[in-house]
Amino acid sequence: MPLLEVKNVSYSYDKTTKALKGVSFNVEEGEFVAIVGHNGSGKSTLARLLNGLLKPADGEVVVDGFSSSDKNAVFEIRKRVGMVFQNPDNQLVASIVEDDIAFGPENLGVPREEIGKRIDFALKAVGMENFRKATPTRLSGGQKQRIAIAGVLALNPKILVLDESTAMLDPHGRKEIAEVVKRLRAQGVAVIAITHYMEEAAKADKVIVMDRGVIALSGTPKQVFGQKEILSSLGLELPAAGIIADKLRARGANIPNDIITEEELAEALWKL
Amino acid sequence: MEIVAENLTFTYSAQTKRLAFRALDGVSVDIKEGEFFGIIGRTGSGKTTFVQHLNGLIKVQKDSGRLLIGDYDLTAKKCDYKSLRAKVGMLFQYPEHQLFAETVFDDVAFALRNFAPKLTEKEVTVRVKEALELTGLTFDRVKDKSPFDLSGGQKRRVAIAGVIVAKPEILVLDEPAAGLDPKGKREFLELLQRLHKDFVKTIIIVSHDMNLVAEYCTGAAVFSGGKILAAKTPKEIFSDGELIKESGLDLPLTASLTEGLKKRGVTADNDFTADGFVESVCRALNIGGKTR
Amino acid sequence: MRDVAFGSYFPAESFVHKMDARAKILIAIAYMVAVFLVSAFHFLGFAACLLFVIIATCVSKVPFLRVIKSIKTIIFFVLFSAILQLFFNKQGTVLWWIITDVGLINAGFIVARIVLIVLGASLLTLTTSPVELADGIEGLLYPLKWIKFPVHEFALIMSIALRFIPTLIDETDRIIKAQKARGADFESGNIFKRAKALIPVLIPLLISSFRRADELADAMDSRCYAGSKNRTRYKKMKLTFRDLIGVLFVAGLIVGIVYLNGFYALSGLAEIAGAL
Repeated sequence: MPLLEVKNVSYSYDKTTKALKGVSFNVEEGEFVAIVGHNGSGKSTLARLLNGLLKPADGEVVVDGFSSSDKNAVFEIRKRVGMVFQNPDNQLVASIVEDDIAFGPENLGVPREEIGKRIDFALKAVGMENFRKATPTRLSGGQKQRIAIAGVLALNPKILVLDESTAMLDPHGRKEIAEVVKRLRAQGVAVIAITHYMEEAAKADKVIVMDRGVIALSGTPKQVFGQKEILSSLGLELPAAGIIADKLRARGANIPNDIITEEELAEALWKL
Repeated sequence: MEIVAENLTFTYSAQTKRLAFRALDGVSVDIKEGEFFGIIGRTGSGKTTFVQHLNGLIKVQKDSGRLLIGDYDLTAKKCDYKSLRAKVGMLFQYPEHQLFAETVFDDVAFALRNFAPKLTEKEVTVRVKEALELTGLTFDRVKDKSPFDLSGGQKRRVAIAGVIVAKPEILVLDEPAAGLDPKGKREFLELLQRLHKDFVKTIIIVSHDMNLVAEYCTGAAVFSGGKILAAKTPKEIFSDGELIKESGLDLPLTASLTEGLKKRGVTADNDFTADGFVESVCRALNIGGKTR
Repeated sequence: MRDVAFGSYFPAESFVHKMDARAKILIAIAYMVAVFLVSAFHFLGFAACLLFVIIATCVSKVPFLRVIKSIKTIIFFVLFSAILQLFFNKQGTVLWWIITDVGLINAGFIVARIVLIVLGASLLTLTTSPVELADGIEGLLYPLKWIKFPVHEFALIMSIALRFIPTLIDETDRIIKAQKARGADFESGNIFKRAKALIPVLIPLLISSFRRADELADAMDSRCYAGSKNRTRYKKMKLTFRDLIGVLFVAGLIVGIVYLNGFYALSGLAEIAGAL
C-alpha cells in the first residue's frame, strides 16, 4: 500500500468554480515528488488537502491508512504529513528557536525529556545545532526556513510537504533547503515539493504538472519535460539546461533530446 | 541622468555602538544613462541599502561620501527629494503588497497625483491608461475593479503601472521577479525590455538570478561586505574567477559550461547570453547550420 | 532595518538574569509596595530602596547608565508632578515666593517615588526577556484557570505578539518606503492631512497582517495545535536558591521600612489595600 493515496479528489472554494477536479496520485515511502503549474493552477489547494487543512469535497486522501475525511484521524494525518509554507516569517510561533521547535511535540503531549531529544534530532537534521537558543528574526531566510522544517520534523513525519518553501529565498537559501531535502530522503522521509523552479523539479523522482485543477502531465522528470509543446501551452518551460540543449540541437549539435539538468548538459557537451 | 557615487558609506544604528552595522563601506560607482545595470552580491552585502539611496529613501549620512543623480546632489544640504523620486522610480520586492486604493485606477494614479498635483483629471486618465496598457492590462476591464480582487499576476502588473505612471527616467527594481511562475517571469522580463527600449532610460535591477544578469544587463556592480568589488560587464564579471570566488556568487549556467569546456581544451569566447553561448560553442566545435 | 534593538532586554549571564521570571515579577511588585510604604518624612526609607536597586543592579551586571537611562522617557512626567507640588502646594510655611516647605518636601517625595519605581521596573525588563516575562505572567496567572480564565491562550497570544513585533516593524518600514517612492508625503500638512497620508500605509499593513495570520493559523494547525488540552510544556520554570535569596532580600527591605516608619507604614498598607 502506498504511503499517501490521493483518490479522485475534488475541491471548490465556492459553488461556481472547482479548484480541483478528480485528482489522483500516490506517493511512496521516501519518494521525492515535485508539483509544478502556473499560479492559480490548484497546487496550493492540493497541498492543503494533503494534511487535512482542507477536506476533499469528493474523493479521499489516505495517509498510512488514515482518511482525512475521518474527523478523528486529523492528528494522525498531521503527525505523518508535515507542511512547510512559503513565508518563513509567518510560520514560526516563538521568539527562541528551541521553543518554536517544541511547539509541535507540546501540542501532542509529548513528555518533556522526549521533546528535548526531538529538538536535538530536528536541529541536527537541518544542520542548525548551533542555533538552539537563537532568535529566529535575526536569521537569514534560508536559516529561518530550516527552522520551520525542523519544527515539522519534531513531529516525526513520514512525508514533508514544501509549499513553495523556496520561493522567497535567495540561491544560497535554496541550496540549503535542497541539501536538507537530500538528507531527509536518505532517512526515508518522502518529500512533496510545490515549486516554480523547474531546476528543482528536474531532480525529483516524479513530476506532477497541474493545470486548472487537474493533473495535466505526470511522470519522471524526463517524461514530463519531454512534452515540450504541452508544457509551454501550460505556461511552463524547461529548466535552463534544457533550453540551451535545445538551442544547440537546433544548430545541428549532437545533443540528446532529453537533457534537463546542468550535469547532463555538461556531460553531452564534453562528448562533442 | 547619470548616477555617480563616490566613497558612499552608510551605518545602521550609528548612535548605539553595540548595534552599529556598516552596510555600505566606501562605495564608488558610475552608472551611465541608458544602462540596464545589475546590482549583484550575496544577501546582506549592501545592495538594498545602496539602491535605496538612489531616490533618497535612505539619506546620505554626514561626511559619508558623495552621491549625484543627474543634477541632483543628494549630499547637498537641500535636495528636492519629491521631484527626485518622480524621476527615479522604485519597485520593491513583492510590489503588489503596497496596493491600497479602492480601485485600480486610483492606485495607479496615486504617484501621479502626488508628483504632479496640477494635472487635470483628463491628463491623469491618459497617463494611467498608458501605464496600465504598457503592463499588458486592458484599461477598461480593470480600472474600476478593486485591486484586491485581481489575480496575483494582475496585482503585480497594477503595482508596476503605479510606479511607471510617473514616467521615471531611472527605474530601480529590487528582486522584481520573486514569486512569479515561469510564464509570469518571462512576461515580466519582456516588459522590462520594452520599458527600457522606449519608456525609461536607465534600469537598475537588484537580482540573485545570474542567468538573468548575463542575459539582459549591460553592466553590473558586484557587492560584498558593503563594498563594490567590481563594476563591469557581465562578461567580464563572470570570467573573473577570483572575483566570483571572493563575492560568493554563482556562475550563470552558460559561464560554468564555458569554463568546463575551457578545462577540456575548447575555447568558446562568448558574452554568456544563451544565444551568444550557443553561437560560440558551434563556432568552436565547427557545428554548422543556421538557426532555425 | 536589521538588528533593531527590541525592548530593553540586556542579555547577560548573571544571578538576576538566571532567576525565575515569576519570582522576579513578584519581587518587583513587593519592591514597589515597599517604595509606597515609605512616608514623606522618612527619607531613610528611600535610601534603603535605592540601596536595594543599586545592589540588584550590581548583581545583574547591567551597566548603571542603562538603568538610569530608563528615567529619560518619563522625565517630563516627573518634572510636571514636581512642579505641581512646588508651586501649588499651599501647606506649611513659605520659604521663598510661593514655595512652601511642605511643597518642597512633597515634590522631592514624588520625584523619589517615581524614579525609584521606574528604576525597579526597568531593572526587571532589562534582566528578563519578553518571552520570559510572558511565561512568568502565565505562571503567575495559572491559578486563574480555576475560574475558567484562558491562561494558556492568553499566554500564547502574548508570545506570538512578541514574536511578530519585529516582523511587523520591518514590514511597516518597507511599505512606508514603497509609498514614499510613489511620492507619498508623511511629514508636511496639518494633522488631518497627515492622518490621511497614513491610509496608504495602514491598509497594506492590515492586509498583510491578515495574510500572515492566515498562514500562521495554517502552520499551527499543521503542527497539530489543538488548544491547551493534553498539552505538555518543554520549558519548565524552576524556583532555585536564587529566587529564595531575592525574596528574602526584598522581605528584608519591607521589614526595614516598616521599622523605620513605625506606625505610618501600617496606614500606608491600609492606603494600598483601599486603592485595590
